[in-house]
Amino acid sequence: MTGPFKMNRKTFLVSALALLAAGPAFAQAIPATIDQPVTITFYNYNLGSAGIGAEATRKLINEFMAANPNVTVEGVPYSSADASRIQADLAAGLPVDLVQTVFSDLDFAVTNFGAQALEDIIPAEELTAHFAGMHPNGLKLGVLNGKTYGLAYTFSTPVLFYNADLFRAAGLDPDQPPKTWAAVKEAALTIEEKTDAEGFAAGITGPSAGDWLFQGVIRSNGGEVISRDRTTLKFAEPEAVEAVAMLRDLYDAGVYDSLDIAAAMEGMAAGNFGMYLQTSAVQGVLVAGAENNFELRASTMPSFGDKPVRPNNSGSALTIHTTDPLKQRAAWELMKFLTSEHGYTIITSEIGYLPLRPAIVDDPQYLGDWIKAHPLVQPNLEQLDVLEPWDPMPGPNYRQIVKTMMDSVEMAVFGGADVQATLADAQANAQALMP
Amino acid sequence: MTTEAVPQPLSAAPARLRKKTAAGTGLNSAAGHLVMVLMSIFCLFPVYWMVATSFRPTNAIFETSLWPTTMSLDNYVYALNAIPIVQMLVNTLVVSVVVTVIQLFTGLLAAYAFARWRFPLDKLVYTGVALTWLVPFQVVMIPNYLLVAQMGLLDSVVALILPHFASALAILLLAQSMRSFPKEVIEAARMDGARSWRILWEIMTPNLRGTIASLAILIFISTWNEYFWPLLLSRTPENSVIQIGIQMFMTAEGNQWGPLMAASTMASLPILLIYVILQRQVIQSFMKSGIR
Amino acid sequence: MAELTLSSRGATAPARRSGVWRVSPWLYLAPAILTLVVWIYWPLVDALRLSFYQWNMLPTSPQLFVGWENYQRIFALPKFWQALRNTGIYVLGLLPLSVLIPLAIAIYTHDLPARWRNIYRAIIFVPMIIAPVVAAAVWRWLLDPGYGMVNLMIEWFGFDPVKFLADPKVAIWTIIAITGWKLIGFSTLILSAANANINPSLIEAARMDGASKWEIIRDIRLPLLSSSVLFLVMMTILLGAQWSFTYINVLTGGGPLGATTNIYYLLWDFGFSTMSVGWGSASAVILFLGFGAIAFVLFRLIDRYSFHDN
Repeated sequence: MTGPFKMNRKTFLVSALALLAAGPAFAQAIPATIDQPVTITFYNYNLGSAGIGAEATRKLINEFMAANPNVTVEGVPYSSADASRIQADLAAGLPVDLVQTVFSDLDFAVTNFGAQALEDIIPAEELTAHFAGMHPNGLKLGVLNGKTYGLAYTFSTPVLFYNADLFRAAGLDPDQPPKTWAAVKEAALTIEEKTDAEGFAAGITGPSAGDWLFQGVIRSNGGEVISRDRTTLKFAEPEAVEAVAMLRDLYDAGVYDSLDIAAAMEGMAAGNFGMYLQTSAVQGVLVAGAENNFELRASTMPSFGDKPVRPNNSGSALTIHTTDPLKQRAAWELMKFLTSEHGYTIITSEIGYLPLRPAIVDDPQYLGDWIKAHPLVQPNLEQLDVLEPWDPMPGPNYRQIVKTMMDSVEMAVFGGADVQATLADAQANAQALMP
Repeated sequence: MTTEAVPQPLSAAPARLRKKTAAGTGLNSAAGHLVMVLMSIFCLFPVYWMVATSFRPTNAIFETSLWPTTMSLDNYVYALNAIPIVQMLVNTLVVSVVVTVIQLFTGLLAAYAFARWRFPLDKLVYTGVALTWLVPFQVVMIPNYLLVAQMGLLDSVVALILPHFASALAILLLAQSMRSFPKEVIEAARMDGARSWRILWEIMTPNLRGTIASLAILIFISTWNEYFWPLLLSRTPENSVIQIGIQMFMTAEGNQWGPLMAASTMASLPILLIYVILQRQVIQSFMKSGIR
Repeated sequence: MAELTLSSRGATAPARRSGVWRVSPWLYLAPAILTLVVWIYWPLVDALRLSFYQWNMLPTSPQLFVGWENYQRIFALPKFWQALRNTGIYVLGLLPLSVLIPLAIAIYTHDLPARWRNIYRAIIFVPMIIAPVVAAAVWRWLLDPGYGMVNLMIEWFGFDPVKFLADPKVAIWTIIAITGWKLIGFSTLILSAANANINPSLIEAARMDGASKWEIIRDIRLPLLSSSVLFLVMMTILLGAQWSFTYINVLTGGGPLGATTNIYYLLWDFGFSTMSVGWGSASAVILFLGFGAIAFVLFRLIDRYSFHDN
C-alpha cells in the first residue's frame, strides 16, 4: 500500500491491526460452543427486496437467534447484480462474516473476499455429520479446487414451464411435453401457427441472465464453456457453436425472441407464451399469473437428441469469511441451521428454491404435504440427480469474461451475426482477460 | 445564461401580454391549443396511470379502464406492511430539507467570494467548481462509501447528507446572480462601514430571493429523487429513503406492479403536493430569477 | 441556469486589490471547496492513479502496476464504438425534445392567455419532479408489449404491437423519448423565462416597422434566446448520456444487442459494476477527459458566437 491518501492508508492500518489481533487466534480450532455473546453479519441479497424472500430470510434468522441467545445476527442486504457492497465493506474494514454468495462469484469470493474452506475451519466429524443426508450433487456445487467453500443455499435448476391450455388449443398433448430441442421447435411452430400466442421464450441471454443457463445448454450438447482445469475458455468449440446455432435456428424459425427477463416472465404469466425455459425460482410469479387463467405445467430442460441433459444450478451458496474462531462457530451454526431439514423446508416452500436434502421431500414433517400440493417442483427434483456445478469464471476480470461471452451469444443468436466467427472472436477477447 | 438583476422590462410584460392575447385568437390558436393539450396528455398520463394502477385490486391489475372499476387499497396496505414507508418518507424529507438549506448556505458564501473579490487563482477555482459537473457519480461512489464507513456513519441519514454539503449548481447560479447585482449598492453599503458579512446577509441575500427560491426547489427535488447514493448506503429500510423503498418492489423474480405503483404514488405525492401548492411561485421564481 | 464558463464576466466584480493574497474570499469559499475536494476531487485524483493499476480495492491484496493495460482493454471492447455511436444518437435524438419543442412551446404559449399559459406550463413541468426510478417503472408498465396501455391503443388503431424495449431498432428511441419526457418541462421553463425577459419595447418597435409575427420570431426572439438555447444544447451534449443512465439501467440493461448502450453505460457496465478498481478508474478518467474536452470546445464556440441581450 503506497497510496498517497490517508483514506487508504488508514484502511490498511485498521485491517493490519485486525489481522494482527486475529493472528494468534487464527491457528486455534473453533470453540465447540458459544459461551459468550457474539454478533455476526450475514450479507444476504434476498433482504434487498420487499417480499417473500426477505420475509422468509428474516423469519429464519429470528428463529435461529431465539434458539441461540448468545448470537446476534445482523442481516445486511446487498445486490446480487454487483457485490460491490461486500467489496466496499471489506475495504472499509467492516466485518463480513457470512455471505450468501452467487455461485458465479465463488472463485472471486475465495481468492479476494477470503471465503474459508469448511474443511479448514470445521472439525471433520462435524462436517460429516452435517453433510449426511445431503444430495452429493448438491454438495459438489460449492466445491472449488477440491475444497468445500460454500454450501448450496438458495439454488434451483432450469425448468421448461409450459402452458397446457395452449398445448391443447394447438392440438398438442400436454401430457407429452417436448423432451428435445427439436421437439421444442416443432411444438413452438405449431403453437404459433394454431394460436395467437408466442411459441417459446428462455432466460438464456439478457442483461440480468448471467451465464448459468447457457452453461447447461452447452454442456447438454457435450461441450463446455471453460476447460475442467479452468484455464481455457471453450465456448467457441464445435459443440458449443452447434448448440448456439440451434438457438439461432429457433430464432430464424420465428419461435424464439430476445426478451428481457421481466417481459418473458410476465408474458408467460399472462398466458402469452407456449413454453418458457427459466430457473424454477420464478415459479411463484408464474403460478400467481396462471391462477384462474390457464394450466401451468413444468418439464425438465430439453436435450440435444439422445445426448444426456446436463443442467446446472442457478442461485447461491453460503460462505464463511470471518477469521475469528468464535464468529466462525456462530456462522457455522447459522449455516447449519439454514441448511437443515427445517431450513430447506422454509427455503423451498416459502422462497421457491430446491431442498438439498432429498429425504425431506417425502417426509410429512417437512415438505411432504407441500410437494403434493405443488407438483410443479417435480422436474426440478428430478434434475437434482444429474445436476452439475455452475462454473465460476476465474480471476479478477471474471465478470467482464462472462459479459463478453454472453454479449457474443446474444449477437450470434439474435443479431444476425455469423455464429462461429462471433463466438471465436469473443473467446479470443475473453481469453485475454483470464488470469 | 447572462443574468440580469430583476430586469425592469419584466414588470411591463403582463400588460403587453394581455394586449397581444386579444389579437391572437382564431384557428391558429385552436390548433395551438390542440398541440398543447396533446403535449399535456403526454406529460401527465404516465403519472395519472401510476395513480390509477395503484388503486386496482390485485386480480385486476392488468385492467385497462381509465379508472379502476373497483377501488382497492390492497396495494397500499401491502406496501405499507412490507416496508416502513412512513419512516422512509420522513427520512427523505429530513435529508431533502437539510441538504437544501446547507447547499444554499455554502453556495451563498462561495458565490459571494467569487462575486465580491478578484483574488489569485479565482478563475481556476471557479472552473474547478464547474468541472465537478462532469465527474461521473460512479467514480466518487466507492471512495465516498469508504470515507463514510470510516466515519462510522454507515446506515445513518447523516451519510446521505454529507457529500451534498456543496454543489456546483448552487455556487455557479448564485455567483451569476450576484455578479449582476448593482455594484453601486454594495459600494454604498461599504462606504457606510458595512462589513462583507453584513453586506452578504442583509443586502445581497434578500435581493436574491427569487434565485434562492427557485434554486431551493431544484435542490429539494433532486435530493428527494436521488437514487444511486442511497442505494449504495441502504442497509436497513428504517434508515433509508423512499426511492430505495420503490426499488425494493422491483425484484429479479418480477416486479410487484401493484405495490410498486402504490409506493411510487406515495413517494411522488408529497412532492406533487408541494408543487401544486407552490406551482405559481415555482414558475414565477423561474421566470424572475434570471435562470434563463 | 448558471453558466460554466469563466469568460470575462469576472471583471464585473469589484476588482479591488487584484493579485493580492487576502484571506476573506478563501474563508467564504472554504466550506464549499472543502466539500468538493473531499467528496469529488480527492476520489478523482486517486482514480487517475489507480487507472494504471490492477487492484480489487481490498487492503490485504497488492496493487499491481499494469501501465496502460486498463485503457487498452476498454478501447478494445467490441461494444465501444457501438456505444460511442449510440451516444451520438442519444444527443441528436434528445435535442428536439430538450430544445426544439420547448422552444416552440415557449414562443407559442407566450401568446396564449396568461391563465392557459400557466396551466400548460405547469402540466408540462410535472415529469421533471417525478423521480427517475418511478418514471422508469411507470414507463415499463405503460410500454409492455402484452398488456401495456400504449400498445393496447396501438392495437385498437389496428396496428401490430410494438416491442418498445425489446426491438433493437426501437429501444434506443424509447429510452430517448422517456429521457425527453423528463426534460421537456425544464427546458420549456428556462426558455419561457428567457422569452419573458425579452424587452417588449424591442418587439413593439419591430411591429411598428411592420414586421410580421414570423419575422419578429426569426429576427428578434430567436437571436435573443440564442444564449439560452446554446446553454440547453450544451447541457444535452454533456449530460444527455448521464440523464438516460437510470432508464437504461432499469429498463434495458444496455440491450437488446447493445442497442441502447451509450458510452456512459458501457463504461459503468464494464468498469464500475465489476470488482476491478483499475477498469472503473480508467473508465472514469476517459469519461471525465472526454466530456471535459467537449465542454472546452463548446465553451469556446459559445463565447465566440453567443449573442448577448442588451
